[in-house]
Parts: sequence; structure tokens; C-alpha cells
Amino acid sequence: MTRSLSRRSFLGLTGATGLAAALSACGGGTKLGAGGAAQSPAATFSGGEYTGPKVTLDYWNGFTGGDGPHMRAMVDAFNKAFGGRIEVRNVTRQWADLYPAMPTAIAAGKGPDVAVIHNDWISTFAARRVLVPLDDVVGALGLTESDFIPAVWKAGEYDGRRYSVPLDVHCLGDYWNTGHLGRIGLKEAPADGAAYAEALKGLKDAGIEHPFWMPNKWPAHLMFMSLVWQFGGQLYSEDGLRALWGSDAGEQALAWMVEQIDKGFSPAKVAIDSQYAAFKNGQVSLTWDGIWQINDLKTNAPNLKWELSPVPDIGGTPAVWSASHNFVLTAQAGRDGDKMQAAKFFVDYMSKQSTEWAKAGMIPARNSVRQEPEVAALPQIALARNLDVFHFIPALPGVGDVQTKALELAVAKAVLKQASPADALKEGVATADKLLADNKRKYAQ
Amino acid sequence: MSVPTASGVRVRRMRPWTPWAFLAPYLLLFAVFMALPIGFGFWTSLHEWDINVPAKPFVGLSNYADLFDPSSVDGPRFWTAMKATGIFTVFSVPLLIVLPLLVALLMNGRFRGRNLYRAVYFAPYVLGVAVVGLLWRFLLDGNIGLVNHYLGLDVQWTTDLPGAWVALIGVTVWWTLGLNSVIFLAGLQDIPRELYEAAMVDGAGAWHRFRAITLPGLRPVTLFVVNATILASANMFGQSYLITVGAPADQTKTAIYLIAETGLRQFDMGTASAMSFVLAAFLMAASGLVFGAFRNRRTAGDTA
Amino acid sequence: MRTELRGLRRSLLHLILAVIAALYLSPLVYMAVTSLKTREGAGSTTPEWIPRPATLDAYREILGSTDFPVVTWFVNSVAAATGHAVLVLVTAAPAAYALARLDFRGRRAAFAVIVATLFVPPVVLLVPNFLIVNELAWVDSLPAVIVPAAAGAFGVFFLRQFFTTLPGELEEAAELDGCNRWQTFARVVLPLAKPALVTLFVLSFLSNWNDFLWPLFVLLSPESLTLPAGLGNFQGANSIRYDLLMAGAMIASIPVLLLYLVAQRWIIEGISRSGLKG
Repeated sequence: MTRSLSRRSFLGLTGATGLAAALSACGGGTKLGAGGAAQSPAATFSGGEYTGPKVTLDYWNGFTGGDGPHMRAMVDAFNKAFGGRIEVRNVTRQWADLYPAMPTAIAAGKGPDVAVIHNDWISTFAARRVLVPLDDVVGALGLTESDFIPAVWKAGEYDGRRYSVPLDVHCLGDYWNTGHLGRIGLKEAPADGAAYAEALKGLKDAGIEHPFWMPNKWPAHLMFMSLVWQFGGQLYSEDGLRALWGSDAGEQALAWMVEQIDKGFSPAKVAIDSQYAAFKNGQVSLTWDGIWQINDLKTNAPNLKWELSPVPDIGGTPAVWSASHNFVLTAQAGRDGDKMQAAKFFVDYMSKQSTEWAKAGMIPARNSVRQEPEVAALPQIALARNLDVFHFIPALPGVGDVQTKALELAVAKAVLKQASPADALKEGVATADKLLADNKRKYAQ
Repeated sequence: MSVPTASGVRVRRMRPWTPWAFLAPYLLLFAVFMALPIGFGFWTSLHEWDINVPAKPFVGLSNYADLFDPSSVDGPRFWTAMKATGIFTVFSVPLLIVLPLLVALLMNGRFRGRNLYRAVYFAPYVLGVAVVGLLWRFLLDGNIGLVNHYLGLDVQWTTDLPGAWVALIGVTVWWTLGLNSVIFLAGLQDIPRELYEAAMVDGAGAWHRFRAITLPGLRPVTLFVVNATILASANMFGQSYLITVGAPADQTKTAIYLIAETGLRQFDMGTASAMSFVLAAFLMAASGLVFGAFRNRRTAGDTA
Repeated sequence: MRTELRGLRRSLLHLILAVIAALYLSPLVYMAVTSLKTREGAGSTTPEWIPRPATLDAYREILGSTDFPVVTWFVNSVAAATGHAVLVLVTAAPAAYALARLDFRGRRAAFAVIVATLFVPPVVLLVPNFLIVNELAWVDSLPAVIVPAAAGAFGVFFLRQFFTTLPGELEEAAELDGCNRWQTFARVVLPLAKPALVTLFVLSFLSNWNDFLWPLFVLLSPESLTLPAGLGNFQGANSIRYDLLMAGAMIASIPVLLLYLVAQRWIIEGISRSGLKG
């Protein structure tokens, strides 16, 4: 499920720094830690500096990519400033390993006190009581829904309480090899379905055997979801009881993906991550991947000439899969009042560093931060020009399992030609509906 | 068996608790991590058990019923995984018996550099599955890997069938051949040299010597190797987890992979426990068949 | 003439063996080569058997990395495998001795129960042992990878078979000299059982050293991982840094490979002399 998500997200980690940056930037007025108290004290945390006995906080995140060093630098800075009272231990693991480990580790008291997790995990963890609410931190930071992309904000709510402080937003982008596109006279990435098909044909004629490799695993499901939304479809029903991605829109989306193989633009049965490795090696002209890859390409493929554009509008309505990184406090910290206070202070501090974090490649979650000149000039911010295109996996408890067991499997089956798109989706939706019903029952009450 | 020697040892009376004192440390481990979990696992399989959800309702045998219900979510997934485990075991075990035996016969000869060659065949095993898996995933990539590059093939070793099975079995043979060879080698060195000498005097050819002396002499070792290899193959996890990640579409996701994923990642521990008991039943049946086969042969051989 | 022919056959055999061995080792050679490449070189899709330029950057980076603390993983793995093997010996040897040599009520039953679990596939223990280890608050610590597997019956079974083959006269003599049971066991039986103990140690060590699934799920934080679980983490990275991975693999493998080269005679003899003969 989120294994791959996680790994991509690790790149998003870079983004986390940005998020913090975004948050700090938008902190507008309140100066935490620097003496100025935050505004209206909510519940227990009012933004003041931590004054209790010295505590050590375990902080988990999945920023193993190019974003890792940024996050580590931010934590180091925090420790330098507050090391006398709060010591933060930064634990970075692949998202894929982080999520399954967290609930158990927290139950055993060996997990994180504070963590960064993705939007679609918040409700699952909140329902499992792995997290504790932090309405007071949000209050102290003066965060309000109006300053955020609504879906990002809402993902942090469960059962009437707020569980997250959003750090950043990241999405799928269209990376393209400028040399390849230059050969057919293109200076911009093709932006719609017709232009895309024409460009791919041109590239093939220009001697690039397979210009656009179609993955069957990560990020294939992110491509599929983006396309579903583009064709006017939805993923799940409002009540969380039905999977809607098997609709006509879903079929069109998956058919388009398979078509790229049939037309010879992609080799068949591409192995995991090959499309990205091949892009780095100049064998692929266009590839869709997360914006967290920016840093990886910069450092690990310095000779490659590439650019990043929004994912093309294939289906008729611009839309792209997006996700956000969020700070959360865990039940482990919840058992210790001092840790709780210190963790809240830490989240508060970090969330004010969001300009910093944006420089690591992420898109700040707060609207106000993105408008700051320093942030607005960053390349990835261009992808967020129109927020309406950002679509998120709905925050249903247990949705991660549904995605892995049903949606991702259906996409893989169709791309690997084990079933037609229609059959794969039909089977997948049937599985998904059963899982959704199970989840509803399991997480009820 | 008779313990004639032991009778003499009973010279002095021992206190009645002495034997239990000898046994105690092991029995403690045995109780906590063997006996208890077997019972606890079965208990878990009768519940809807999520480690993080306080309510763990009793559901009777419905976790098992689900596995045998083709319209449930877990049933088809489970049998796909069982099939994967079955395919892997059936095709890998014979190779992992015959090839190591050949290597052991070769290495049993006297020639220069013998120890070096032995080390060569054992080397991959020392690396562990993590290194082996990631190394081969890199080499086997269908579009950019070295294997297709040098063989001039266009086989998708990690995303297509039967290519993925060939790859997984091939890698496993490469990885563990050395271990089985060493054990066979030990068995070979245990066969008294005089038997061969006597056979040579009788004018027996190499093939006849192999049939009449080597194979019977290796029977106990072979039983051990066969059984251990079946268990190891039936527990195959790392190769599939690292090389194919279950592709294509979960068809190389083995039963233990699915059980670990279901129980320890998705925390559906009741279903995972039920799956593990069903898998265990199959494995025990397989073990029984192997022992039966060897026992029959032994009696046949003894009477002959 | 005849010897000439034999010589020819011999060198032909050597040639074949050498070629097979070279092929067999080529993936490992490529691993070594890749570990010496630059990060771009290692990510390249064109095969290159000579790193140009050759660099130790990957080694430097991984030895200094906090995300991939290979040295810590290596130490953890050595500690876990050694601890496990020692625990197996310490618990299985006295138990096996009691079952083989001491006469007491319940012996047959105890042996039968223990041996019966040899036929219980370890998969049924996976989930419940995870829950038990979690209850003990051992998750994410070395005991979790050292202790549970030591409950397996193989060690007891294996040593018991060996003890039953020992001649009883020595124990009798020891008894007559006034040794009690413990002294007889420790001073007479154990030294005689050295080859079997060594073999069991090696087998236990290797099985723990190569264990992947259990540590992958039961260990959580980077600094407590064993080598297989730690290196397995590279799988998650969506663009695997092969230079780092291979450097880590090299660091992890070379000491063990050397150890095997030095000890292999001993290991093979141990296995053959200690009666896997059931």
C-alpha cells in the first residue's frame, strides 16, 4: 500500500522542511520561542516555551530522500536552541516500514512521541487511538481552515477533534528530458491528451524506442487516480461505503495507461522503479513522479537535463494526485504530561520553519506562505498555481488497506495485461466494497 | 532404543528434581515461545484481533470460513499465495537436492584448490537474503538489467510469469546451494573409505558404487536436507519481498509473505493466524510424506 | 601415456571448475565493482566492470550515514547471532543431557512433546510470538531477535542424539570419583560433545544471521536493526542508491566470508562428526 507511497514520500520529506517553513512563514505575528506568546491559549498548550523538567522526544519521520538532510538540519537547530530542556531524537525510516511499526511501537512505549505522517493515515491512526488531539496547538498557532487547502485541513479531523498540523503538500509531476523533447522541437511539455500522444509519436519516430514507460507498481496507482479525477470520476463515496473508481472514468483512465503500452510508447511489464532509473539514464523522455524526486535528480543525475511540469490533462479536467505531510502527537507522549507539553512546543516551533522546508522541495500547505516572494519563486510552487487541481485520497479509516488490496492490485493487473481494464476494475471494486464495509464496522463507535 | 550404558550410570541415586533442573532453562523458553504461542495463536485465530483496537470480538471459526469462501476478500488472496508457495517449493526443492549433491561429489575429490572452490559455492549464502535479493533485483531488471543484456533476452524476470519463478528459483539455488553442499559433503566424508575399496576390488563401476554405497550412505543426511529444504522453501519470503515484491499482481506473493503482511502490517491478526494454521496443516502433511517415503525405503533396503 | 591423459583430463576439469566458479562469483564481483563507483556510475544502466572513476565515496558516505548505520547493524547482527547461538547451547545442552542420560519419570513424555514441535511449522508462531514479544516490551530490542527462536526443538533433539552415542563408562568413572550430576555433565560430557556443540553453534548462528522476516517486523528503529533488516530497507527507497547498498553489503560480508574461509574445515568436520545421522 503505502509502501511505495512511503518511499516516494520520503522524497516528500524534503517537502517537510518546506512545510515547516511554510508554517513558520505564515505564523504571521506570533513569535514562539522567541519570547512572544502565541495567541489565545487553547486547552493546555498556549504557545509558550516549555518550562518543565528535561525530556527526550522521539521524533519519527520517513524523510529518507533528498529531504532528509533538511529535516535533520531543522531538528539540529531545534536541539541547539532548546537542548537544555528538550532533546529531540530524529528517527528516519522508510515510510513503508514506519507506518506498520508505529502503532506497535507506540503501544510498547518504544515509538515516537511526535511524528510526521501522510494525510490519508491520520484518520486510520486516530481511529486506532494511536494519536492524541492537538486542537490547542492549532489554536496557539492561530491556524485556521481558510488558510489551507480544504482537503488537507479536513484530513486532520476525526470525530470532531483535530489531530494534525499540516506541514506541506506534494503532488505528482511530469518530468521531461529537455534534450529529447528538443529533438522534436518542443520547449514545453505537452499539456493535454492530444498533444501528449502526438509528442510521444514524434519522439518514437525520432528514434526514442520507448519514450514513456508505464509502471505497474508505484507510482502507477497515483497516475491512475489522477486520471480518474481528470475523467470526472471519484475514488470513494461520501459515506465511505462504496468504491467509485470502477466507473467509466476509471475504465477510461486505466485504458489510457494500457494504451501507452499497446501503442509502443512503453515497453510491456516494466519492473518496479525501472521507469525512473531509465529516465535518469536518458532512456525515457517523460515520466510522472512525485515532486520529491527533484532533489534526487539534482544530486544523483547531475548531467541529466530535465524540467518539471504539471501532469498533463488527459481526461478533460485538470487534476493530480496530491498528499500532505502532517505533524501528529502520539498516545505515547500522551502518557506523560511533560512530554506532551514539550512535543507540542516542538511541533509549534517546527511548523514555523515552513519557508525553510519549502526550500527542500515541498509546497507549503498554507496559502499565505506560498505567496511570500521567497517561496513563490521556488520551481515546485508553479505546480500549485491552481489549487483546484489538487486531489487527495479521502480520509477514511483503513483506506490504506483498501488501496493496496484492491485499487493498486487492479492497476497492476491491467498494466501487466493479466486482465482487461474493465475486468480488473470490476474485481477490484468488488474487493474494495467488502473491505470498506469491514472497515466501517471495525472503526465504528 | 536400548540404553545399556546408562544402566551403569545409575550407580548413585539422584535427587528427583535433578533432571528437571537440567531441563528447566529450556522448558521455560519452550513454554513461553513454543507451547504458549501455539495455543495463543489458535485463540487469536478465533477472534477479530487487531493489536491496536481494544475490542477483540470472538468470531468462532469465521476467519477460517472466510479463507474457504471464494467470495471473501482474504480467501482468494490466500489461495493465490498458497499456490505461489506450492509452485516455489515443488520446483526449488529437487534442484536444491540434486545440484548440491553433484557439487558435493565433485568437491569430495582430492584436487588442488578444493577449499577455495568450496568457499566459492558457499559465499553467496553468507551474504544473507537482503543483499542477495537487492543485488539480483538490479541484475534481473527486464529492461535495464545485466542478465538480459548478456543473454540477449527480453524476458521480464521480475514482472512476468513464468519468468519470475525462474528468477526466484534460480536466485534461491544460487544463494543456498552452498549450504546443502556442505551438509552433503559432511555425509560423504562419513562413508567409510573401506566400502569403496572393497567394491573396487569386486570390480564395481563408478555408477554402481554410487548407487550401492554413496546413496544409501547418504540417506540420513538426505532426509535432513530434504526436510530442511522443504521447510525453508515453504517459508520463502525475502526473495519475493525484495525481487518481485509479489509481482505480477501478487502471484509470487508467498503464503508466509501474505501472513506477515496481513498480521504484522495490516494487523488483521485473527485472519493471519487462521492462515498460518491452514498453511501449517499443509506443511505437516508434506513432512509426513517425506518421512514416510524415507522410512519405507529404509525398511525395503534393510530387508533386501 | 596414461598419466598424460589423466593430466589432460585433470586440467580440463580444472578449467571447467574455474569457469563455473567465475560465473558463480560474477554477481559478487559486480557488487564489489559497483561499490567502488560514483553515485551516478552505480545508477547507470550500461554494464561497466571497471569503475571509472573508482572511488571510495560510497564507503565514506555509508560509514558516516545516520540513516544507514551499517556498522551498528553489523554489530547488532553479530550480537544477535552470537547471543542466540549461546542461548541455544546453554539451554539445549543440559536439557538434551537429561533426556538422553538421566532416568526419571516423565522423560519419554517430555521428549515426545518436545520432538513433536519439530513438526510444527514456525509460521504458526509468527503472529502470537509477535504479540508475546510485544507484551514483554521487547519490541525493537535485541532480546526479540535472540530469544524466541531458541525455543525451537532442533538443538535439544540434535544434542540428545549425540549424547546417546557417548560411551557410558566415562560417566561411571566420574561418578565413582565423586562427581555429582552437574559435575559429570560439565567436566566429562560437555568436553566430549565439543564437535556437536560447535556444529550446533554454527547452525544456530547462521540461521539467526540470515533471518530476515522476523527482525524486519520486530525491530523498528534504525539503530536496532540487524544487517538483513537494515539492508532490506534499501528496497523502500524509490531510487535505490546502489553504490551505497553495495558498499554496505561489502562491509557486511567480508568479515563473515573471511571467517568462513578460516573455519570451513572445522565446520564441515563438525557437521560430519556430530551425527546428523539421525
